Amino acid sequence: MGAKALIQLENVTKTYDSGENEVHALRGIDVAIREGQFVSIIGPSGSGKSTLMHILGCLDSPSEGKYWLDGEDVATLTARALARIRNQKIGFVFQTFNLLPRATILKNVELPLLYAGLSREDRRERAMKVLERVGLGNRAKHRPNELSGGQRQRVAIARALVNNPSLVLADEPTGNLDQKTGSEIIEMFESLAGEETIVLVTHDPAIAARTERRIKIVDGRVVNADTD
Amino acid sequence: MILLESIIDGIRDIKDHFGRTMLQLVGIILGAGSIVATFSLSIAGKAASMEYYRVSGGIQKVFIWNKPTGKVTLDAKALASKGLTFHDVTAIQRNAKDIDLVAPVANDTYSIRYREIEEPRDVMGITPAYSPMNDVHAARGRFITDSDVQTAARVVVFGSERAAEFFSTDNPIGKTVTIDGTGYQVVGVMQEKYFSFDQKRNVLRWMNRQIYIPITTMFTRRGETLDRGKVNMMNARMVDIKHHEDAEAEIQRVLFREHGVRDYEVLSRVANLKRNEQDGRMYDMTFMICGLISLIVGGIVVMNIQLASFNERVREVGTRKAVGASPGQIFGQFLAESVLVSIFGGFLGIFIGKLFTDAITSLTRDPAIITPDTIVKALIFAAGTGLVFGMYPAIRASRLSPIEALRTE
Repeated sequence: MGAKALIQLENVTKTYDSGENEVHALRGIDVAIREGQFVSIIGPSGSGKSTLMHILGCLDSPSEGKYWLDGEDVATLTARALARIRNQKIGFVFQTFNLLPRATILKNVELPLLYAGLSREDRRERAMKVLERVGLGNRAKHRPNELSGGQRQRVAIARALVNNPSLVLADEPTGNLDQKTGSEIIEMFESLAGEETIVLVTHDPAIAARTERRIKIVDGRVVNADTD
Repeated sequence: MILLESIIDGIRDIKDHFGRTMLQLVGIILGAGSIVATFSLSIAGKAASMEYYRVSGGIQKVFIWNKPTGKVTLDAKALASKGLTFHDVTAIQRNAKDIDLVAPVANDTYSIRYREIEEPRDVMGITPAYSPMNDVHAARGRFITDSDVQTAARVVVFGSERAAEFFSTDNPIGKTVTIDGTGYQVVGVMQEKYFSFDQKRNVLRWMNRQIYIPITTMFTRRGETLDRGKVNMMNARMVDIKHHEDAEAEIQRVLFREHGVRDYEVLSRVANLKRNEQDGRMYDMTFMICGLISLIVGGIVVMNIQLASFNERVREVGTRKAVGASPGQIFGQFLAESVLVSIFGGFLGIFIGKLFTDAITSLTRDPAIITPDTIVKALIFAAGTGLVFGMYPAIRASRLSPIEALRTE
């Protein structure tokens, strides 16, 4: 723990002020995740797992507490700085894939590199490499609507990997897929684990069972986190 | 580089949603078209006017006519005044220092006969000054000279169309025509004068139909003395148009001293020009304002459709932010699209503007000239509209919270 952990949350609290009521989404979370781990965050809806994921993904900042990501305290960064962190250190995989419908697969995977300022040739090269890694190199010029759900999610995974992230965050990645395809996607994550640090958010215990480590969250608190 | 990508994306966006884009652009196209039309017509109108003035003696010309005083009973002074006479010509020449040339004209109608052709025609009695004053010159032979005037010679010069009427293909020089029973020798035929605003009608055609004799010859025919010879109108030429007010005042002063009553009218081209400029400016302003209003409406439409499109693309904005687009980059993308679409509209507007001006030209006389300057102005206005009205949607997009955006269905 401590300096060796890639991710360290210290007493992270998130409170929303919605008029009269204060919503305590997270109450004093302490979590450490080591490099290369394949972790799942599991909890019922309303448990705060989405909020935790937003904070881990630097989409939002905690109300209180510290968040060390790859040696940097990102808890108090500005929106612009958080965007930079997302661009360079984090890769997202969403339940709804979230690909740009009017762009080719290749352009979709290149997207993070575009905002990182890479040249056209560099972008293309790196995107092709990672597309091959997920087995879709031959579909680079197709549009998302020409692909199946499972293939689209693989494109999303490629996009998440293209910028060499410190952390891959997957939010219910199999939610929109059938059983078989979903299982294939989890297999892909399993094959990436070790090289990549993966945090997968789910409500499905069967999926959580396939990860190395489970962090259970209920009502804004971590209960029963497996020790690493 | 991101800017270039945005532009390429923007172009693809326009292609994908051509119908929506065209709707967006109606206002901008009309606005840009209006501006093109306004400037073109106004430039052309001015250019045509200036050219007309140049071809007919320049803007230093002053016109002086008889004018009825408008009084029902004439008092002694009015009765005593004989209207414009040759005496006024010499008076102005001597006393008005800002005038360097005076060309009087006396009109009459005579029966003109050559061989079998005999017709009543208008004849002008003039002095040699008429030639430089009106920029008319002899094509064959010569014009009336000082010597002709001094001796009240019986010589005649024909305008090009009149010469063709009486002489057809014969050479008129040296022939004798009978004017009101007396023989006159033809000494010259004038060059053809041509000027048209619409490439159809020659507004200077009347000059080609003139017949000129020395003014003194006409006085003699009428039995008038030189000094009292009645003059129908005079042209005067200013030395310097900068002093046009002084020149006009001098003429007025001299004539009033001679006549004692204001039975004449002095019209200077420069004064006319200045008045027209003012009117023209108002005219231009009106069109400009219409064009601007069109552009503003167009801008509002662009803004609304940008907002609508942005609402459609909320999730896309969320994804872009999730992979690390900064608010500034999102802002730039949306603004670039807005400006791009507007410039596209500007180009279309220029074509519409050309159609406008062609349509208007076919109805009025003024030909329209579309200069590169005008095109640049129209494009800048269009781009500017896109910039200003694209700001609000772009700012909203940049401030979008990625979490909110991604939560959208």
